[in-house]
This record gives sequence, C-alpha cells and structure tokens, in this order.
Amino acid sequence: MSETVSPAAAAASDDPQAYVAKVMAEIEEDVRVRRATGDLPPKLERELDELFLAHSPVAGRGGDLAEALRMVDAATFVDPVVPVASNRAVGAAVKKGMRSLLLWYVGWITHQVSQFASAVSRTLHIIDGRLKELERKVEVQRVAGAGVVEFPALHRPDAWWVEPAVAAAAGAKGRVLTAHCGDGWLVQRIGAAGGDAYGVDPRPALTDAGSVGVTDLRGEDLAEHLRAVAPSGLGAIVLTAVVDGMASGEREQLLRLVATSLAPGGTLAVHSVSPASWTSSDAPYEADLAPGRPLRAETWRHLLEGDGYRVTVQSGPDGFDYLVTAVRDSVLSAEPTLAR
Amino acid sequence: MSAAGPKGPPAAVHQFIPTLNPRDASGTHTLLLRDILRRAGWRSDIFAEAIHDDLASHAFKHWMYPAHAADGDVLIYQFSTSSAVAEFLYERPEPLVLDFHNFTGPEYFAGWEPHTEERAARAADELALLAPRAVLGLADSRFNETALRRAGCTATRVVPVLVDYRRVAGLVDPLVAAELATLKARGGNDILFVGRVVPSKAQHELVKALWAYRRLYDPSARLHLVGGTQSYEYTRALRGFIGDLGLTSGVRLTGELSEAALAAHFAAADVYLSLSAHEGFGVPLIEAMAAGVPVIARAVGAVPETVGDGALLLGSSDAPFVAAALHRACTDDALRAHLVAGGRTRLTAFSLDAVGPQMVDAIATVTPRPQ
Repeated sequence: MSETVSPAAAAASDDPQAYVAKVMAEIEEDVRVRRATGDLPPKLERELDELFLAHSPVAGRGGDLAEALRMVDAATFVDPVVPVASNRAVGAAVKKGMRSLLLWYVGWITHQVSQFASAVSRTLHIIDGRLKELERKVEVQRVAGAGVVEFPALHRPDAWWVEPAVAAAAGAKGRVLTAHCGDGWLVQRIGAAGGDAYGVDPRPALTDAGSVGVTDLRGEDLAEHLRAVAPSGLGAIVLTAVVDGMASGEREQLLRLVATSLAPGGTLAVHSVSPASWTSSDAPYEADLAPGRPLRAETWRHLLEGDGYRVTVQSGPDGFDYLVTAVRDSVLSAEPTLAR
Repeated sequence: MSAAGPKGPPAAVHQFIPTLNPRDASGTHTLLLRDILRRAGWRSDIFAEAIHDDLASHAFKHWMYPAHAADGDVLIYQFSTSSAVAEFLYERPEPLVLDFHNFTGPEYFAGWEPHTEERAARAADELALLAPRAVLGLADSRFNETALRRAGCTATRVVPVLVDYRRVAGLVDPLVAAELATLKARGGNDILFVGRVVPSKAQHELVKALWAYRRLYDPSARLHLVGGTQSYEYTRALRGFIGDLGLTSGVRLTGELSEAALAAHFAAADVYLSLSAHEGFGVPLIEAMAAGVPVIARAVGAVPETVGDGALLLGSSDAPFVAAALHRACTDDALRAHLVAGGRTRLTAFSLDAVGPQMVDAIATVTPRPQ
C-alpha cells in the first residue's frame, strides 16, 4: 500500500524546527487577523481574568478581613442541643432521651470548643485592629507608583527615537511588548515593520478606545502584566514614558521582571527624558508628582551592562531625551525557542 | 557497574515515601523502582507514612524501619511533599539518596488554601534539611536538579521518573469509552488535561482557552479535566467560572479515574493541552505522547525539557493564542502527524528499558551492585 505524503508533511520531516517555527508564525498571524476584525476585543483577557477572580476566596468575599471575621464569629458558638424532630413519634422520643443522656458530656466538650473558638476570634479581631493601624501608618509614608509622564514634544510618532526603537524591536524573535502604549500608535508602527507587537498601559480608557480593532492593547499595570508572562516569553520590550519618574525600588522590580520575561538574545529599548527635561518649564505636572526622577543615559548603561546586557545609547538632538537599546546575553540560547 | 558484595545477604536499598498511592506518579515510580532494584540484586522494601489500602501488602509503615535496619543499608527518599518521614530520615545514620520529584510552591496556594500553603512551605524547609545530608540527589529533570542543588545537594544526577507508559495505550474502560463516543458523536473536538485540580495546574486558563476556542473556531468543543481535587476553594471557583461562561455542558470535571478510564480519555482525545504554571516533570504529557495524542503545552518549569520536540510549546496562556494553536492542531493533518511522530520519538527516552539502567547505575555509585 502506498502512502501519499503531503508537501507540508515533507517540509516537516526535512527541518522539524523550522516547520514548527513556521506553524507558530502562522498561528500568531491568525490571531493578529482575528484581532484586526474585532473578534477579540483588547480588554477580553482582562475581563475573563476578572470574572474568574470574582470567585476567588479573597476577591469574591470583599478582599479584606472583615468578611472572614464575620464568618469566624458566626461559627464560634457550637450548639450542643441537637434537634430531635423525627417523622415518627418514637424516633423523636428516642432522640430526646439520647440528648438528655449525652448533654452533660457533649455540653462539656462544646463548651471548651466554643471557648477555644472565641479565643481565636478575639485574637483575629486584635490582629485586624493592629493591621488597620499599621495600614494607616504605612499609607502616610507610601511611595506612589511613577504613573505615566508624557512630554507632548517627545512622545509622538514623528519623534527622532521612534525609528531606531522600531528597528530594534521589529526583528525580534517572539512577541514585542510596548509600554506605555497609550492609544497604540507605536504598537502599530512596530507591527507595520514586521514585529508581533502588543501594548500595555495602565490607562484603560486609552487602550480601550485607541486604535480600535487593529492592535492588541491591554489596559493594565505593566508590572502585573510582566508577572503573568511566561519566563523568556518575549522577544523584545520597548518602554517609553515608563521609567522616567520611577523610584529606585520600583525601577529595580521592573528590571527584574524584564530580565525574567525577555528571551535570551532579546532586546530591551528604554526611551527616557533627560534630567534637564524633567525640570524644564514645559514638563507636565505629573513630573513634579512622580516619586523619582529620570536617570542619565550613562547610568542606564551602567545598570544594564551590570545585568549582562550589551548596551547602545543614542541621545536626542536637543539633549532632552535618549534611547537605550540593550540586548540580553544569549548564553541561555540552548533553551527551546519560544514562539511567544 | 558491578562490585564484590559482602558475604551474607545482599545489601539493601530501601525506599521511603510520604504516601504510597497506586494512582500517582511518585507511587508508581516507587513500586517500579523497587522491582528494578530487586532485579539488580539489592534487597529492597518500601516504607511509607500512609499506605493506600490496595497496596497494604507492598509496604511497611515508616516507623517500622528500625526493626528491618541492617549494616550497609542505603535509604532512598521519594520527596514530593511535606511528611513526617523527612524528620525520621534526617535522624537516621544510613546514607540517604534524595529522589526529588519537586513540589508545588506555597505561593500557588496563597489566598486559596492556607493549610496547603503551610504544608508546601514545610516541604521547602524539609528539602533544605535533607538536601545537604544526601549522598546523592536524583532529579526527574534538569529543572528539579537545579532546585536540589540550590537546596544544598552537591552530588546530583538527572534520571527521569519511572512510568510504564504502555498502560495508557492498554486496557480501555468500555463504559467510559462508550460515554465519550456518545459525546464525540455530537460533534466538536475533545481537549484533554490530566492533573490535580489546584491553582498551579491553572485549569481556569484551560477554561478560558476553551471559551475562546468555542467562540472562534469550534462551538461544540469539549474540555475534559481529569484529576482529583486538592483545593476545595479553587475547584469551587473553577465551577463558578465555568457556569459564568456558560460552559457547563462543555467542561467535564471527572475527578480521579482508574487506569482504564484514563486510557479511554486518552483514546478519545483530539489534543492534550497543558497550561500549568508549574511542572517539575509532567508525566501526563508523556502519557499523551504514548497514546498518540498531539500535545500543546505552556513552556514552564521542566515542560520544555520533558517534551523536547514532541509538542507545540507556547510562551503564554493568552486565550486567543491558545485557541488558535488548538484550532491548528485539530485541523492541520501534517502538524498532527508531526506532533504524534515527535511524541513517539521523545517517548523512547522515557521507556522503562531506557530509564531502569540509568537508575541502577546511579544507585551503584552509592552502594556496589550485589553480584
């Protein structure tokens, strides 16, 4: 019996890895096309996650101790007087007799159980009170997140840094994360240059309304998003209006998450304003309110080279901003190449 | 390796395990390893904190070991969760081999199951206690080996878990097969996942993927979630989520199954999908390959090294992306053939014939194989 071998099957046997890479690229294209047709609204994933989380023990019950304490309080009393109702008269009499016989014993046990539960409940209320006091104190000293600090003259499609950033990201093997993406103009540019780009921005009003139906935009916090990305799951990350006003702790956390999410050999592009721009008269008010200040380009070089990146720095023509392009060491390239 | 043994009875290599269960991977691994050790000439028995009724004649309680102890004994601990066995072994003077199957980290249970979270944290403490004391660490995967080394185990080897993968292609429960055939007759593809219902296995991500897949490609598709639950809260949330999405008829939570019923599910599956957030090895991935089912899996933990080129690896569990991958794997005959052939090739690395001798060689580095 002769077998007919399809061209696709023959291609698969010739070079299996190239075949799988081609299939994955086609799958991604399929998703891109469906997103473009509006079948998959940008906020779909977020809505599904929120729907599931509504059932979780924390989110589904108010997310604080109050509800849990109410449940504990309600369960604190253990009733030793068991019901004696029965369909048969004799059954009720037997149950009542047994209850009378056993009540001294069961009552002794339940009394102790109730006392124990009350002690636990009291302890939890004390903890709740101290936690609330601690939260009030922490709130006063809280360092807010940097938010999005956009300079109208620097964060726009015809800015000098856009072309080199697109060039650095578009050739990446794997998905390209762009943040903060705003209405998605940079995502579109990278997509048009051949990159599989999507965007993240903490301003859902912008992502939901922006570039409707043509890009994958997600209205969520960047750090939260990166925590959900598979290790080495991204081919490139482009950051603009992200790091400028970050406090050091937030910046360190972001760099750790980027290092985990970026595939070996992947590219990180950081666009930041210069310290001089931060204090200029046309800086937005968010700059004043941010917990940190922009670093100098050379400081970024120092930080990223220390983490094993190969770094290139380009400064803007007026010295108002700069672009740092960093390629992650590909020492882990023996790991399987991920499609996303 | 062969070495002259002492006069008298052959040396013993005994195994300890928290729970000896016939239906979990570490339980079957322990039973198969005992047979391999005995065939290699060692005396070998199993000691456990808890023993499943079906295996009562196969093991002793761990506290009974002192009555069996003899000079030259080597003890293997099948480490997969927290157990009183850990402290018991820490205090024993015999050389200890740690056979590490990894455990689900406490962070995966945070907010869901406080008691399980505590138990998982205790497992981490017990690993830190035993790893420096072990003369040899055996790991199912390089991923697990890294964890062993981080815990302080200096001599390690990677030897895959022992599983008789032929069983999933073996005896099929006819009643279950008939039930699945009835469902299949209604149309739609059957997607299978096998694993405990716990947050780390991310069954909710599978439900999201099914929802997207049904919406975009196959409105009649079904998802079969096989496995017992170890988290009441997560299972409750999962059922609520399934109801909210209107998928009650599309998702089957089967609970724990017999081997024959599991074989029926593998036989009926069109694709095996795993979106787990954590895997130390992933036995069901290999079982799917053995059953000739195309595998799609999220590339986390040890999954990439387990499946090799035998599966479609995904870098995220993004629902539309997973749905598109499912569609491709269900409709593209060339891809299906490629994945099935790749799976069968990968399977050879995990056959008992391949892994058994590796296990014997590893143990022989600690105690000479009896002649």
